[in-house]
Amino acid sequence: MRYADKSSSVWQEEEMREDKSAAKTSSALKKAFREYYFNHSKAIEEPFKIEHREFGYMQFEQPGMLRHLSFKSMKELDAVLVREAPSDVYCSNAYYEFPTGQPMQEKRWLGADLIFDIDGKDLDMPCVPSHSYPLCIQCGSASPPRHDEQRHYSCSSCGSNKAEYVSVPCTKCIDGSKKEARRLIEFLLFDIGLELSAIAIYFSGNNGFHVHINDEGYISLDPQDRSNLVSYLSGTGLILESIGVRKTNREDGFFIRFPKSGLAYGWRRRIAEKLKIDMTSATKFRNIVNQYRGYDAFKAELERLAKDMGVRIDPQVTTDIHRVFRMPGTLNSKSGLSKTKCADLYSFDPFLDACLLGENMINIKVKTPVKLRLKKNTFNISKESAEIPAYAAVYLMCKGLAEAN
Amino acid sequence: MVEELSYYQDLASIRMAGSDLAKYPFLNEAGEYLRESGFGWEELDRPDMKYIIDRAAERVEIEVDGKIYDKLERYEIEILTFVISLVIVKSIGIDQVLKKFALAEARRAEKFLTEDLRKQNENKKGSLFMKILEDLFKLRIVVSEDQRLFKVRVVDYLARASHFHEQEWKLINRLVHKGYVYLDADETVRLIRNELSVLIFEKVRAMTLPTLPQSIKSKADELRLKFLSRYERRITPTKTEYPPCIKHALEVMKKGENLPHSARVMLATFMLAIGKPLDEIVFMFENAPDFNEKITRYQVEHLAGMKGSHTKYSVPSCDKIRNENLCFATAECDTLINPVQFGRKKK
Repeated sequence: MRYADKSSSVWQEEEMREDKSAAKTSSALKKAFREYYFNHSKAIEEPFKIEHREFGYMQFEQPGMLRHLSFKSMKELDAVLVREAPSDVYCSNAYYEFPTGQPMQEKRWLGADLIFDIDGKDLDMPCVPSHSYPLCIQCGSASPPRHDEQRHYSCSSCGSNKAEYVSVPCTKCIDGSKKEARRLIEFLLFDIGLELSAIAIYFSGNNGFHVHINDEGYISLDPQDRSNLVSYLSGTGLILESIGVRKTNREDGFFIRFPKSGLAYGWRRRIAEKLKIDMTSATKFRNIVNQYRGYDAFKAELERLAKDMGVRIDPQVTTDIHRVFRMPGTLNSKSGLSKTKCADLYSFDPFLDACLLGENMINIKVKTPVKLRLKKNTFNISKESAEIPAYAAVYLMCKGLAEAN
Repeated sequence: MVEELSYYQDLASIRMAGSDLAKYPFLNEAGEYLRESGFGWEELDRPDMKYIIDRAAERVEIEVDGKIYDKLERYEIEILTFVISLVIVKSIGIDQVLKKFALAEARRAEKFLTEDLRKQNENKKGSLFMKILEDLFKLRIVVSEDQRLFKVRVVDYLARASHFHEQEWKLINRLVHKGYVYLDADETVRLIRNELSVLIFEKVRAMTLPTLPQSIKSKADELRLKFLSRYERRITPTKTEYPPCIKHALEVMKKGENLPHSARVMLATFMLAIGKPLDEIVFMFENAPDFNEKITRYQVEHLAGMKGSHTKYSVPSCDKIRNENLCFATAECDTLINPVQFGRKKK
């Protein structure tokens, strides 16, 4: 289908060249990843009860994930990582009696850690278009960021109008995710009552944060229980009755009766403070609701407000109790950065603290002029080929913006 | 028969008065009480036992109708009535009957528990029941700082209330602070209704009946006939319209816009659940920007349980759909917990 207007020999030649450069890139990435696993085996965190976990990994240039694996010790796992140099390594949040069992029911689920995923791409950051590179779905060529993504895309090489957008996150994106993470931690500490020591925050290795909870009590919760917690944290499903506005049979009619347990804490306090609701005066509250033109309009406003004040976490991730999850200390093939524990979220700099690949120089061919900052060095590459340190070269190759030369 | 009752969980540390046993006959000591009193099967054919058997049958009938049997007599009578009602339900042998009975028994106990919990501050009695909740259901209850309410740990709350369908029970609609959910006495006891009913349900299921005295057998047969016809009726759809979440997903598809993965799963599982043919479902996705018939077919077959693990996927609940921002509820959705219920009502 591609190059339909070209003669078949040219078509084959071109395809072969493409395959060759893709293979070269994969092999360069594989080499860098292998080196990392060889030198950094200590950076990989041993999961609690390793023998009850399911492992999985993906390989460069091979579709799908190898799952249902089990390792008795980190030594066993380390050996596989150096031998295979996987593109991505995963470990289940679940504990199983038989982690290698298939189908799923054979594994005998024993429980699963509670985890939260904050993904920068779900935050609709305004800076995103300025560092999102369109990658043509047909021919793979890249072009510079377009500030207006709505505008019609047309590939300069093959004319296709379908593209995927690859984002090279900036510090603003990371700060946005950090803000969400901090909000999540606040909810977990002050509302849910978790101990600070039970909360571990990790940079995901690309553009977000994973929050792992280490609390026995939560391990047995089923997806519905977890979904209930997600609603709480994300501000979904708050009803007016909860803060004392009760519907009457009359259309849009309502009356105020404050809940017996009051508005002193949690979501009720948040909303009461925001809307200046005072438990001593039902009349005042009635006036507030009327300002929004009655029950239905106030309901819509409350829903919007709660969503806005809630944390943007991926509900799928938290409610999935059979998920394999990126392992702390392993590399993310979307960036070549590592999933890294944040000792201090405020000062954590992923472009420094999670950038652990070597400094040896690698020659690459960039598909489009690109700018990035890693390990406190700024790379502004405008020429087609460049020799840059491995950590930066790998980053660009992982993003699909460069190839091994 | 008394032997049959020794299954009750051991609550050796809790000593209860006979009047408490009348309210909570499912606690082990009810069985113990009967054993101590030397009660035997043969006594049930005695004429003066007719009163008890009639009471037991009445209790079963009322409770299977979804109401609570709220009579409370002398505890000897109450305990015996309870035990015989268990025997009747067991010999009726219809699961739905047992389920309804167990649920109503749980609600009956709930009523008494609530009253007793309310007395918490009047005397020491309340703390006895707090101990029951902790021993039997591992639910620890703390009295709130101002003595007006009770507190349960967030995780204990989640594990129970997440399965209630009313919006008011969602954690977000509760007073939550520093790891605790604040509840009044009714709400606290409501949390364990399901566990109580499961306890009763499981215990009856595990019972083995000896040959029954004629007096009980004929009562049980009479009730079985009555319930049989009732549970043969089926729920049938009365409307063919789709719920708004499905309608929305179909509209998005029709426009050829991208529909998130979770919405595609919702749409496909819904169509499978209402019995749409596979081919028709596959082509509902044909306008999707990334439509590939082969892949879509595989995925729909997977959801239908024809591929992979052979697990048939159910339609996601309204709760889940809401969390994923795929819900566009209208007034008609008010009491639903799953989109497949839309437009259906009981005959």
